[in-house]
Amino acid sequence: MAEIQNSNPTILNAADLPTRLRPAATRKTEYGGIFTSALPLAPVDYESALSSDSEDDNLLEEPIDEQEIYDLISSISDPEHPISLGELAVVSLPDIEIKPTLPDVPDSPLQTVTVLITPTITHCSLATVIGLGVRVRLEQSLPSRFRMDVRIKEGTHSTGDEVNKQLADKERVAAALENGALMGVIAKMMETCH
Amino acid sequence: MSALQTFMLVVDHDKEEAKRIAEGIAQDVESRKVTLIDTVQSLGEYINDEDPILRGKAVSYLTAVIQALSPKYLTRQQIQVLTTFFCDRIEDGGAVAGLRTLQGLDRFNKFLATEVAQALFSNFQDLQSRSQTQRFHVYQLLNDLMSNHRAAMRDMGDISLLGVVDLMTGEKDPRNLMIVFSILKVVMVEWDISNHVETLFDSVYNYFPITFRPPPNDPYGITAQDLKGRLQDCISSTRHFAPHAIPALLEKLDSTSPNVKKDALNTLIACIQSYDPDTVSKFSVTVWGVLKFEILNAQEEFLSQSSLEALQLIAKRLSEGVTEVSQELPLAKYLDPITKECNEQLQEPQHKQAKPCQSILNCVSAASPVSFVLVVQKVVAPIFTLYQEADGIVKQRALLETLNGLFEAATNVFGQWTTRGGEVALDNPLLEFKDQFSDVFGQALMGAAKEEVSFRVTALKGFLRLSTLRDFFQENEIGLFVQYLDEILLKEESVGRDDLKKEAIAALSEISKHKPRLIIDITFPAFVATLPEEAEEGSDESYLPTLETLAQISVERDIFETLFRRLFSKLTILLQKPQPGSVAYPRAILVTLLYVMQQRDMAQDPSVDLYFDKIVIGLCRNVAASASGKANNRILNDPTVLDTLGRLCNLIVRSVSLQKQEKVAENVYSLFSTPEEFASIPFAQTTTPDQERTIIISTYLLAGISKDCSNRIPHTNPEMSALLSDLVRRSISTTEPASHQAYLRHLALLVNKFLTKEHLSIAENLFTTLFQTQDPAGSLNPPTIRTIFWLSKALILRLAPTTTNIITTLLTLLSSPDPQTSTTSSQSFTLLLSDDDIISPTNGANIRLLSRQRLFTTVIPLISSRIREVNIAGTDTTPSHIKPAHLTALAGILSTIPTALVMPELPTLLPLLLQSLDLQTADSVAVRTATLNTLAVIIRDNGVAVIDQCGHVNSLVTRLLKTTVTNPGPGAVNSPRLRAEALKCLNLLATHQVPGAANNARAPPGVSPLLPVKKQVLLALRAVLDDPKRDVRKAAVDARGAWLRGVDDAPDEEE
Repeated sequence: MAEIQNSNPTILNAADLPTRLRPAATRKTEYGGIFTSALPLAPVDYESALSSDSEDDNLLEEPIDEQEIYDLISSISDPEHPISLGELAVVSLPDIEIKPTLPDVPDSPLQTVTVLITPTITHCSLATVIGLGVRVRLEQSLPSRFRMDVRIKEGTHSTGDEVNKQLADKERVAAALENGALMGVIAKMMETCH
Repeated sequence: MSALQTFMLVVDHDKEEAKRIAEGIAQDVESRKVTLIDTVQSLGEYINDEDPILRGKAVSYLTAVIQALSPKYLTRQQIQVLTTFFCDRIEDGGAVAGLRTLQGLDRFNKFLATEVAQALFSNFQDLQSRSQTQRFHVYQLLNDLMSNHRAAMRDMGDISLLGVVDLMTGEKDPRNLMIVFSILKVVMVEWDISNHVETLFDSVYNYFPITFRPPPNDPYGITAQDLKGRLQDCISSTRHFAPHAIPALLEKLDSTSPNVKKDALNTLIACIQSYDPDTVSKFSVTVWGVLKFEILNAQEEFLSQSSLEALQLIAKRLSEGVTEVSQELPLAKYLDPITKECNEQLQEPQHKQAKPCQSILNCVSAASPVSFVLVVQKVVAPIFTLYQEADGIVKQRALLETLNGLFEAATNVFGQWTTRGGEVALDNPLLEFKDQFSDVFGQALMGAAKEEVSFRVTALKGFLRLSTLRDFFQENEIGLFVQYLDEILLKEESVGRDDLKKEAIAALSEISKHKPRLIIDITFPAFVATLPEEAEEGSDESYLPTLETLAQISVERDIFETLFRRLFSKLTILLQKPQPGSVAYPRAILVTLLYVMQQRDMAQDPSVDLYFDKIVIGLCRNVAASASGKANNRILNDPTVLDTLGRLCNLIVRSVSLQKQEKVAENVYSLFSTPEEFASIPFAQTTTPDQERTIIISTYLLAGISKDCSNRIPHTNPEMSALLSDLVRRSISTTEPASHQAYLRHLALLVNKFLTKEHLSIAENLFTTLFQTQDPAGSLNPPTIRTIFWLSKALILRLAPTTTNIITTLLTLLSSPDPQTSTTSSQSFTLLLSDDDIISPTNGANIRLLSRQRLFTTVIPLISSRIREVNIAGTDTTPSHIKPAHLTALAGILSTIPTALVMPELPTLLPLLLQSLDLQTADSVAVRTATLNTLAVIIRDNGVAVIDQCGHVNSLVTRLLKTTVTNPGPGAVNSPRLRAEALKCLNLLATHQVPGAANNARAPPGVSPLLPVKKQVLLALRAVLDDPKRDVRKAAVDARGAWLRGVDDAPDEEE
């Protein structure tokens, strides 16, 4: 990357990005706030200190949802700026969708994740790299029953169709992943994932 | 053979012998057996030899003799002769060393120094073709001349200047360069260099940037940083270099290597620091023009940081001696393009480059008061205009952030209310905009939509900065802000993560340091008014947030006293009500007081006696009355209230005088009441549960008093065996858990802290007696087991002489045929060393540092061999509970031991830990969790290598993977927490392949011990990615990512 293409993009504030609120858990304990430090749990012995997770909690399932997908990919860094895709609004929560892959077969566990990418400028040549990065991150992080569909959001890129064709073509993706230099870039983008 | 000949024979292989010969001759010379002339003449046949080695040896002989002479021996004339002699033969070995000796003598003069320097300059034209050592000696001689005869050298002027430069040109050896740079620096600073600036500059700048990398195990220990430092000193040594140095350094910023850029920036900073302001001024705008790009398009964080530092330093240098603000100042001319650029970028404040501009404005304005005034004049008004015209809240927020940066700079320049000294003569230029700020920030904070949290937080932070800025706002203006904060905390609903409320509390507590009166007058009445008279059972506890806020803003002394009075009177009223509602409320009030007292240094608080009278004496009496059934309600009969009150008493007792503590000691059991009012517990024939609960308070009081009061404790004179037996009896027979726990601690406290050495046998006999209650089947009831363990804790911590014996006896309990006894005992091992609030160093408990080590090293071999026995014997002959019991005990002990102690025992320990992971049942979840925690710490601190050395990588990974499975099979349970912990260990394995390496550290060269299992791990983790629990999935994603990245395959392979 000799020349930076968009040197001055708009940045969202990290605090304003969508996050999952941890409900209840903290509220439930008697002193959720600062007083816990003043009052170490009343003296306990081994029996009562056993793991605090109750049976009910353990059985409650938490299915993979859009926010979780967002959390996976929003922390990827942009290849041009050391800023996350979330802060650059390249990925956003409303543009992520999870649907059953086979709506006609209700028992099928297969699901499809659709992620729409909004490049910071319409002629961004790195859109493919970003798309590829998102794809790789999802493939590494989601169970095998998920299908990925990563695309450029309609009307946000001058050669969007071209890029989409590339991203959807399994063989081209596989070929790209064999490319050491490209994988180097993608690995760098994913260093910030936590 | 003459001395000379012997010398020449041995000098190559026996330096000591050669030295001895020279010393012999020197003695002869001094005692006038031979003359110096003879010695010189004896060289005759060799010094004209054709072989330079022979000549060198002959000259070295003379040098060695001179070196051995006493410093005062040589006359001026002799020195002169010898100098000339050496100068003539300066190219022969040993001559330079001889001259070095001569120039150090007192009688060596300026004239001779010049002669030597001349000889050096004219005879060493080819210096660079000689060996490193020879060059080194020449530089050393030159360096000595520079330090001992500087005037002579300086008087030579251009001759010495050019001579030095000629000598060193082409030098490449780092050791030599270290000397050369320091010689050159002297020339640069002290010589008149006006005719040769460029020559001199080039002679050092040719070495920039230093790319030297010391070879491994370098015996000379010169680092690249040493060389960089000396070179930087040269370049920044004189302002004459500025026209050459600054453009050249700026050009180096075009380099693609961040390291070169870093060196260039550091040197630039050194130059700005050292050149005079006029010179700096000449280049200031040019420097800005170049550094701007480093900041706006930051490649690396440290480069933009250094660039900002350079910009600020220029502003500081240009502010030197300036007292009046004017647009004609060089400083103004420098700042002009900066503010212009920033104003332009701020037109779109939400864009990426606005952030660096905020940093630029922040750092240049913080450089000096004048600088601050100049920046504010140019920047603030346009920001206001932009703010008024801004079409969105994102833009407005970015503008407020820019202002916040300026406020921060203002704080640096003008100080806060609490700053001592450093008053600035200039008026704060922000004062002109004071009302506007108040309006805009107030409007943004209170007028914006409630969900715009980050916008409001930004406004709040700005308002806070202005409120703490010295001599800025009036009291009533800060008061307005305080009212806003109160409103946010008391009236607004919670939004999201409650960031705004957290910030509001932090702001109030910050203001309380600067303007405590405002908090007392405005915030306190508003908050206390919302506290209820009483809280109903099961009510929503809405008083908690209020109390939490009050606690956090009351750390300042005056405010705390107000808080105490208000809350104490609430509590007093509650204690008098016949129907006081939920006990949670009075308890929360006590916790609030406890929290604040913990934040403060109570021993220094002048009001501590007041708190002592009210709480320790007053409330303890109330406790006694409650226990005797004479109170209006049962608040003080509640064990949780008593526990909190106990902690409060404990803290206060520790802070009062010894006389007061003695009084406490006397009243530990009577709780400041007469026998008629309250019957104290020890030796009472009958006790009610209410009465028994007062032991909670007694225990905390006892923990707080100093050891010096031990003779005042009732029932302990002449010795305490009766008291201890009484407590043991009660602790075993009591039915309430809270009282039981308090008895156990009370007993342990007496034994650990107050029992004298001579009487230790009392406790040891007690221990034996308790064991004798074991019935023939080997079973003990749980209360007795706990009593035994607490007693053991007290003795082990003080390392009583019988410690080893106690530990061995405790371990026999694990093998008890009774499963209940074995299990309860195994779970009690963790309490032996665990931290405790009563038996703690703060309370003056007797805790010996070596106790942990002793327990650990005694227990490990015993458990290990016992488990081996069980494994060999098989389950037919030993009951099945015995092995898990031993592993549980081990896990309990490990959780209380620092890893440093664990490491030496790792080879013994790892197989045990792995066996713990093999346990599958639900009961073993706690043991396995503890084991995983231990493993995590071991891996984090020591890396994979230690596990590899024991040969257990494969078995560990297999077991960890087994623990990540959601449904491991019938009867087996892996709780979500357990699964997540196992994944954390897998993650740590991949990220800590090198001991002590930071996260994401690359694998070391060579094959990672993890590589053989990589495929297995990635495959197994793929399944865990579908875990029903989100936290587990998250941990799986992280662990899998770490293995993908950190465990290196051949580079091109993608699974």
